[in-house]
Amino acid sequence: MPSITFLPSYRKITVEPGSTILDAIQRAQIQMNVVCGGQGKCGKCIVYIKNGSVEFDREKFGKFFTADELGQGACLACQAFVRDDLHVMIPDSSLIQQQKILMESLGIETPFQPSVWKYYVELSPPTLEDPSPDLTRLVWGIQKQGGPLAEKMYAPLDVLRGMPRVLRDSGWRVTATLALVPGGYRIIDIEKGDTRKELYGVAIDLGTTTVVAYIRSLVDGHVVGIASNYNRQISCGEDILSRVNFARKNGLPKLQGLAAESINLAITTAANGAGIDREDIYEVVVAGNTIMTHILLGIDPAYMIEEPYVPVVRRYLTTAAPRLGIEVAKDASVFLFPAVSDFIGGDIIADILASGMGERDEISLLVDIGTNFEVVLGNRDWMFSCAGAAGPALEGGEVLFGMRANPGAIERITIDPVTLEPQYQTINSIKPMGICGSGLIDLLADLLRACVVDRTGRINTEIIHPRIRQGVHFPEYVIAWKQESGNNKDIVITENDIKNLIMSKASVLAACITLMKQAGITRNELSTIYFSGAFGNYIHKENAIMIGLIPEVPIEQIRNIGNGAVEGANMALINRKKRKTLDEIAKNIAYIELNAESSFMDEYTGSSFLPHTDLSLFPGVQKMLDECRLKKIPPGVP
Amino acid sequence: MALKALDIYKLLPKKNCKECGDPTCLTFAMKLASGKGDIDKCPYLDLNAKNILGASTRPPIQLVKIGVGERRFAVGEEFVVFRHEKTFYHPPGIMFQVSDLWPAEKIESVTRRVGSEHFVRVGTDLTFSGVAITNESGDPDVFSKAVGVVEATGTHIPEVLMAADPVVQEEGLKKCGNFRPLIYSATKDTYKPMCALAKKFGSPLVVSAKDLESLGEMTKLCNAEGITDLLLDLSFPSLRDYVPAATEIRQKSISRSAPELGYPIFLDTTRYEMQDTALVLGIDKYAGVIVTPALGPASSVATLTLRQNIYTDPQKPIQMNPGIYPVGNPGKESPVLLTVNFSLTYFTVQGYLESSRVPCYMFIVDTEGLSVLTAVAAGKLNETLVRDSIKKFDLENLVSHRRIIIPGYASPLSGKIEEETGWKVLVGPRDAAEIGDYLLKEWKI
Amino acid sequence: MAENSPDLGGKIGYVVLGATKAEDGTRSVSYRLGGESDLPFIGMKTSLGSIPLVAFEICDDPSYWSPIVTSYTGDLVSDTPEWATAAEQQYGADLVRLYLTSTKRRGFDDFPSITKVTEEVLSGTGLPLVVEGSNEPAIDSEIFQRCGEAGQGERLLLGTAEAGRYRSVAAAAMAYNHSVVAQSPIDINLAKQLNILLREIGVKADHIMIDPYTGSLGYGFEYSYSVMERIRYAALKGDTDLAMPMIASAMDSLSVKEVREADPVIRDDIAVAWEFYAALSSAVAGASIVCVRHPKTVPLLKLAFRELWAGKKPGEF
Repeated sequence: MPSITFLPSYRKITVEPGSTILDAIQRAQIQMNVVCGGQGKCGKCIVYIKNGSVEFDREKFGKFFTADELGQGACLACQAFVRDDLHVMIPDSSLIQQQKILMESLGIETPFQPSVWKYYVELSPPTLEDPSPDLTRLVWGIQKQGGPLAEKMYAPLDVLRGMPRVLRDSGWRVTATLALVPGGYRIIDIEKGDTRKELYGVAIDLGTTTVVAYIRSLVDGHVVGIASNYNRQISCGEDILSRVNFARKNGLPKLQGLAAESINLAITTAANGAGIDREDIYEVVVAGNTIMTHILLGIDPAYMIEEPYVPVVRRYLTTAAPRLGIEVAKDASVFLFPAVSDFIGGDIIADILASGMGERDEISLLVDIGTNFEVVLGNRDWMFSCAGAAGPALEGGEVLFGMRANPGAIERITIDPVTLEPQYQTINSIKPMGICGSGLIDLLADLLRACVVDRTGRINTEIIHPRIRQGVHFPEYVIAWKQESGNNKDIVITENDIKNLIMSKASVLAACITLMKQAGITRNELSTIYFSGAFGNYIHKENAIMIGLIPEVPIEQIRNIGNGAVEGANMALINRKKRKTLDEIAKNIAYIELNAESSFMDEYTGSSFLPHTDLSLFPGVQKMLDECRLKKIPPGVP
Repeated sequence: MALKALDIYKLLPKKNCKECGDPTCLTFAMKLASGKGDIDKCPYLDLNAKNILGASTRPPIQLVKIGVGERRFAVGEEFVVFRHEKTFYHPPGIMFQVSDLWPAEKIESVTRRVGSEHFVRVGTDLTFSGVAITNESGDPDVFSKAVGVVEATGTHIPEVLMAADPVVQEEGLKKCGNFRPLIYSATKDTYKPMCALAKKFGSPLVVSAKDLESLGEMTKLCNAEGITDLLLDLSFPSLRDYVPAATEIRQKSISRSAPELGYPIFLDTTRYEMQDTALVLGIDKYAGVIVTPALGPASSVATLTLRQNIYTDPQKPIQMNPGIYPVGNPGKESPVLLTVNFSLTYFTVQGYLESSRVPCYMFIVDTEGLSVLTAVAAGKLNETLVRDSIKKFDLENLVSHRRIIIPGYASPLSGKIEEETGWKVLVGPRDAAEIGDYLLKEWKI
Repeated sequence: MAENSPDLGGKIGYVVLGATKAEDGTRSVSYRLGGESDLPFIGMKTSLGSIPLVAFEICDDPSYWSPIVTSYTGDLVSDTPEWATAAEQQYGADLVRLYLTSTKRRGFDDFPSITKVTEEVLSGTGLPLVVEGSNEPAIDSEIFQRCGEAGQGERLLLGTAEAGRYRSVAAAAMAYNHSVVAQSPIDINLAKQLNILLREIGVKADHIMIDPYTGSLGYGFEYSYSVMERIRYAALKGDTDLAMPMIASAMDSLSVKEVREADPVIRDDIAVAWEFYAALSSAVAGASIVCVRHPKTVPLLKLAFRELWAGKKPGEF
């Protein structure tokens, strides 16, 4: 049997004499451009014969080539018939180019390598001379169309059941949807006619509070629709812990249902907005934290909240959408991101994917702040991670006038160091009702610069100024007077609020420092700090460093990846190779239990200072503060 | 180990094979870096890596065992210069001295004290460690007899035989040599016979010399004679020299720059007039065996308490037993104050409650020794614990009301505690000093 | 013997307490504390370093004081200036520390008495004086103002500043050139933070003494011991925000169970032992001033220090 050697890869394959080179190429699983399906019409499948000879009708097909090229042995693979051993060179231009998709918010490109495809085939109906079964006919047709090898495809039972009807009703013109699975390809749908354009996937961020869905075309990889809504599990518990407790009391099925419901709602909204049919969504990728993932899968999370905090599974999982109650194409699969531990879940793995920190030699630090925070430090060779409770202050909780980033929340604020008068900006620019996380950070930073607070966050009550006064329980600073506020109250920040804020930020900074010390890394060796988490978007980087939320690095080295979880889920959706690396990434991350780390409490106390007790860790901030203090007129003088 | 986790990781095979028991090579490296791992657990290490990593498996300070049976103790095997770097592991043995010139009853009474006197502090039994018999008579028979008295009175209480003359020493050893007494001591002139005795009886040996350099030489000489269970005698003429010498020995042992000094320290405080001072210095600074005259009641309890304090693991906080502790004479209407079982907290709060003169119950729950703030932050102080403790200690039958006062820093838990227990929660002050005022103002039946 | 520990490059800063006639004060002696460039006891021959000082603690209202001390001392405790004299002349203390316990009385407002007692104690003894304010933050300003003024020119040590409560004592210290006791709850980070806060409002580093809060023997002492060792070590490694001399007072010593419940025959001995062991250990850990309340403890400590720091006179210039 003739043996073909492909160059430059030196891949070898044997074929029957009389096969085309294209057959050999497909057999060798090389991705070749086969636009016209092997009919000799498009001229894309150009190869060069380097050794040996083939049967090729130069007269008929020579029009695709220059004389030079013909001289070099050029021919069309689909029309070149194999007789003897060959060496065939495949130029790059004949291979399917990896399309690159721009991940807008990350500003990086990801190669488009989906794992579902649609093939439109026009099959010749069976005859007495050609009595191959429907399935065989179909898979050969797909293969001819440039699809995978026929023997690698299979169809599940329900697809088989519908097959004879749809083939005949459509006049043997159907579109088959294929999904890559371990060992081959699964035909997950057969539709009448040419529906190649209707091929979609959805990336889901299954957050504790919000669920976000991004629908992408899996034809070209671009986003077609986005939607988000509250996670309906909130009705069973505001925070994760209370939900787990709810699950313990036989609430797991309900919670599972609510998770699916929330996802379905987001998908439906996005689909409607994009004008597409939910049933054309053939793939779902979900990134959520470990507990949320367990609940979605209907797996009991009870043991995760008590020592020793063990999840049931942390591997990357795949299951059928209907089993979870997710309403998309009937045979669509759901891929769930793997986790590292109880507290470092799929959402953080997604963050890591989105940041690309696992692909570089340079050392990065990733910080995801919500009610809980997660920190990851490392590079492609090693990673450490840890998690902790930041407390609700950074999301506006436990702060008298704190609120989430909703309309009316002060999200930006500056304070004049001389007059102590504030200037602020609210969400939707309506009258202020309160202040949200990013605003709180700005506020604390400027109060520090203005010497209104000392480094422990205590307000200097000796300053004589109308905005600085003793409140009901604590000293406070008035941000907005009653007349200008939207709720008829003076909007203030109290010393207690500041203390809670400092406690929150101290947890985060202490975690960063603990990891860095474990790894023996100083802040000068950090190439990038990534912020993830909803509120990372609006943080004023300089202020975050000023108050010591994160270690001090040059501003240009701080990047925001926005909702890293959904970005990472998107990347996994459009690039199956990245999906494969997820388990490896997760396995290689060393999880550090902060509670067991004897140095953590020490670091925490050290971090409960603005920006930190060890001033040498924040030389830039120290310099700035020294300057401010020098410039400062004694307090109380207007 | 001075190597950081990442440096160690670079030397590991990075297969993540899990044969060492750790999920990844990285976590194994972290364990090794913090001194917790066992390098031999990795089956794939090459020789070079083993050398670099294994260099520090032998302890910097020799572990020396003294005595046999229940009261035996060991000293040495320390790893840090300051207790706060990790902890000190082996508290010094404190030996009461008797002279062979004393009448038997006196020797007996001191020995009996060591055998039976004990103080219980924070749930631990504190005792003195043994008896040191000094040869003042110069006579081997007298010495031997004195040793015999100790032996007869205190079965297997560890002993130190303090005789400079090997002949006298041998007589003493004949009486108690089976019980691993400490031999004091070998000098440049007597080390050969003393080592022979140490070898014969399997006993540890103190070496004496005029300065550290000479002590180092002595240990090398004794090693050559096959003796490695040694102690260094730092009973220099001036007590002033003790701390600098002991510190130098500790620093050099830990840094392994002078392995010949890597042995525990011996201090004989009977030479100095200021006994308590010498005791404090020895306990604070690295002594392994301290000989002292039998201490009076005040010094006894203070010494044992100081030793307990210095040799407590700084990372493990001292804990009280959870339970209900009455202050004053409380009754069914008296207030109940919840707090943690960190003993410092307990004592502080108790002190203030006593001075407030309001009879009440301190309700101590098991937060594993964590302070209020830490326990709340770590989730150890939570509503489930409170509910379970109320049941366990039968609080409901102790008082007729259903109100519980919680520390100010535990205020975030107030709602949850109410829900979980059904008791009404009153949030007390953050500062324990204000508890008296708080009770007077806020507690009404 | 060890002349110097390896790798240390820092030095403890100086603090001067007490002003003699030469400096327009009325103290009979003035102390300069600090200057050490190695661990306690080490390199004493080569580095400057002061012998630890013993401060005897008294108060202006003995109803708030330990019954062990009041019954041992007798009526003397009701005469504050006389008590201070005894501290110097009978007990041999190096400093007197005066606690204004009268301010603990509910509704205290007799501020002139504060000035009076401070002045009287300054007459009663020529030793440098440490004055402790009240428990009540609301009256801090007034109290410190008065003590500060009464002690003007005498280089007092005023106590106690804490993280949430330092402005009044700092103001008085700066106005009248006194030094400040900066107390933190057995935590090296908090100690450092307080020093930074004080520095930021203008208190000079050489006017601060660190009080790491000393738990009594058996009741947290070892935490204090280790914090002092850590502070000293950090200072010697170059951390200038911790390079201040330390003051240690295990003030709960006389109210611990072992002392309170001791047999009356040996109770004083136990009280003294309890104070002595903690105070000496504090000096071993690096404290420059140790404070005690039982008269008998003072001579024992002085004897020990004299023996161990031979050749040094208290705080010699």
